[in-house]
Amino acid sequence: MDPIRSTYESDPDMLEIVREFASELPERIARIESLLASGAWPDLQTLAHQLKGAGGGYGFASITEFAARLEQALKSGSAEPLVKDRAAELCAILRAVVVPGAR
Amino acid sequence: MNPEVPNPNRVLVIDDSESTHKLVIARLRPEGLEVIGELDGERGIERSVADQPDLILLDIGLPNVDGFEVCRRLKEHPATRNIPIIFLTGTTDTESKVRGLDLGAVDYVTKPFDQVELRARVRAALRTKRLQDILEQQSFLDGLTGLWNRSYLDRRLESELNVARRYGRPLSLVLVDVDHFKRVNDSFGHLFGDIVLQGIAEGLRAYARRSDIVARYGGEEFAILLTDTNLRSAMYVSERLRSSAESRHFEARSEVVSVTASFGVACSEELGADLTPEELIRAADVGLYASKDAGRNCVHLYRNGEVILTTGDPGALGPEEGENT
Repeated sequence: MDPIRSTYESDPDMLEIVREFASELPERIARIESLLASGAWPDLQTLAHQLKGAGGGYGFASITEFAARLEQALKSGSAEPLVKDRAAELCAILRAVVVPGAR
Repeated sequence: MNPEVPNPNRVLVIDDSESTHKLVIARLRPEGLEVIGELDGERGIERSVADQPDLILLDIGLPNVDGFEVCRRLKEHPATRNIPIIFLTGTTDTESKVRGLDLGAVDYVTKPFDQVELRARVRAALRTKRLQDILEQQSFLDGLTGLWNRSYLDRRLESELNVARRYGRPLSLVLVDVDHFKRVNDSFGHLFGDIVLQGIAEGLRAYARRSDIVARYGGEEFAILLTDTNLRSAMYVSERLRSSAESRHFEARSEVVSVTASFGVACSEELGADLTPEELIRAADVGLYASKDAGRNCVHLYRNGEVILTTGDPGALGPEEGENT
């Protein structure tokens, strides 16, 4: 997958918090994986909901898009394999995010 | 103390995601707004009551108490009822939008938000808030004199008495009545009477301290609430106000008219711990009547069931004593 950069990297109001948000994504990935492993669907849904709300705001439209897909799958009570697929897609997106300043 | 309405600029974010807080701060701070935040509904409500923000950005999916319930409670609470609420949420279905707006929110913005749009909606909500603040203040102002009116004074008296009690601070009340006002009205007409009231009001405002709350209490009666002020200091303020009223002259049909006023002063410190607003008013009123009886244009303090005339005799209160008098 191509690296994903925030569309707000060049906005001085935003650079610092974008960097912070992006550098915290590995923790979010770890949390998604542990929630998946323990089958804690409600917590996973909350996390997906939060990422959906935050992603686009930080200039990562694709995080919003894929977090929304995961949230939707959980909300509609999809079978476990589908939830896992959606979560894996989202994690792949999160891993492709480049922390600004670290070129 | 001159009433003025400040520009509303404090925004409270209630959202369980810190990412949203940081984002809102980054987007609203350049607008000159102060952004404060809480991560759950209960704390959000407490903060709203305590800090009186000018606008609340409220998420729906919150732990424990959800955003709808928070909105309902904020709109029910007298201290937060008038604070505009904008839902800022990732919940995008029409039903939730309708529900939020029906609960009293002024707007509904979905996350991720467009920053330009959010700023514009925040500006719009704050503009409305300012107009509302001005209207609210107007309803507490006296039309003739521009001073606070009686209903404002009654409210402040109640809350300041609570503060005084809680922190063990003295609160003084001065009642002022224009002398022979009926005679002035009868001799020179009601329009002239109005000019006199405006002049007296102007004098009270000019010679009171910044922290004093000056109100028109009724017809020709005024009241001044002096926070953090003991009986002795209230006496000095009252004497200054009395002599400023006395030295003011009005012109009516090429005649120069002088008007004087009588004063009654009471202080919470002298009146016991469970003092009610009515008792404080009554005590100041006893002082005022004593001034009328003594020939007007003077100040009487009420203390321990007695009245003390202080005009022309500043030592009447006795020597200044220690703190625990």
